[in-house]
Amino acid sequence: MISAIRLWRDTGTVNPRDRLRPVSRRNPVEALAQQVTERVVDLLVNALDINELAARIDLNALLGRVDINTVLKNVDLNALLDQVDMNAVLARVDLEPVLDRVDVNDLVSRIDMDALVERTDLGAVIARSSGGMATEALDAVRSQAVGLDQFVDRWVQRLLRRKHPAPSAPRALLPARAEP
Amino acid sequence: MTARPALVSYQGNYAGSVSRLAAYAIDLAVSTGVFSLGLAAVSYGVHVVTGHDVSWNRSNTIVAVLFVAWQFVYFGYSWAVSGRTFGMAGLGIRVVRADGLSLKPRQGVIRALVFPLSFLLLGLGFLGILVQREHRALHDLIAGSAVIYAWDARAARLRFLARQAEVAPADTPAARRPALGSHS
Repeated sequence: MISAIRLWRDTGTVNPRDRLRPVSRRNPVEALAQQVTERVVDLLVNALDINELAARIDLNALLGRVDINTVLKNVDLNALLDQVDMNAVLARVDLEPVLDRVDVNDLVSRIDMDALVERTDLGAVIARSSGGMATEALDAVRSQAVGLDQFVDRWVQRLLRRKHPAPSAPRALLPARAEP
Repeated sequence: MTARPALVSYQGNYAGSVSRLAAYAIDLAVSTGVFSLGLAAVSYGVHVVTGHDVSWNRSNTIVAVLFVAWQFVYFGYSWAVSGRTFGMAGLGIRVVRADGLSLKPRQGVIRALVFPLSFLLLGLGFLGILVQREHRALHDLIAGSAVIYAWDARAARLRFLARQAEVAPADTPAARRPALGSHS
């Protein structure tokens, strides 16, 4: 309690006892009463076991009575953020371990490239950079050929009654293709 | 962005019979065309120098030998140097070693030399392309080679979608039509 009073003194915050002092200057009886009270309070505080007191407090019940939304409404986040030096914060962050834990391949595999091309200007960029009638014709011919390849292959597999699927690619090309 | 299965790319897969046949047809047409142009050039040169007209006949032994030799050069050189002929480049396929690594020049030459064997056995040598698990013909088995798709279907699909996005505004039925390279 004494240290708390010192803190009030040092920080310039209001000491509840200050309210009594102006009165005591006017009336000697009140001054005496004030001194007695202060002494009693000091003795009482010294006798208290703060740790035991704190252990008895049900913090959950206490926090349950706090309306966090109201508290947050009163907080001016903009003012708070204005005081934060983001550059200094970012300078303290070591991104290397974070990036090491990010699976970039998994991240890329989650990107829906079809939707990306359809909904962004990326499609126009690709079309302009790789367009041309020849490319378009080649893509069409190759795609048709692959479709026919697979059609023929399916029928051959069916006729041969193969139960186990054949390898799709040579051994050396399989690991690279397995990566997303 | 949504999670979805990885898009299929045919790059590296064993090439099928139709692609290989189409590539061979293109190669045959190109090599025959170039050979004919060569003969025409020789005829013109002889005419300019000597004043005599030279006519080439298919039954002429020299022409037949030259044609076969030219075929060896055309296919052998292409396979030895890049693993693909003109027709194969067009169809997006490539010859590699059986394990998938780049073909050695020696293997390319051997493949060209044994290639006629597949014809000489009444075409049975090509049956492997259909029934063999790795789609390898007789000349592939002898040369230790395989033929794979060397084009990126995923890139082709993106190009198709890009063209669609340019033609039709986003979120219209036209923009959601099935695209190239979407075979499953």
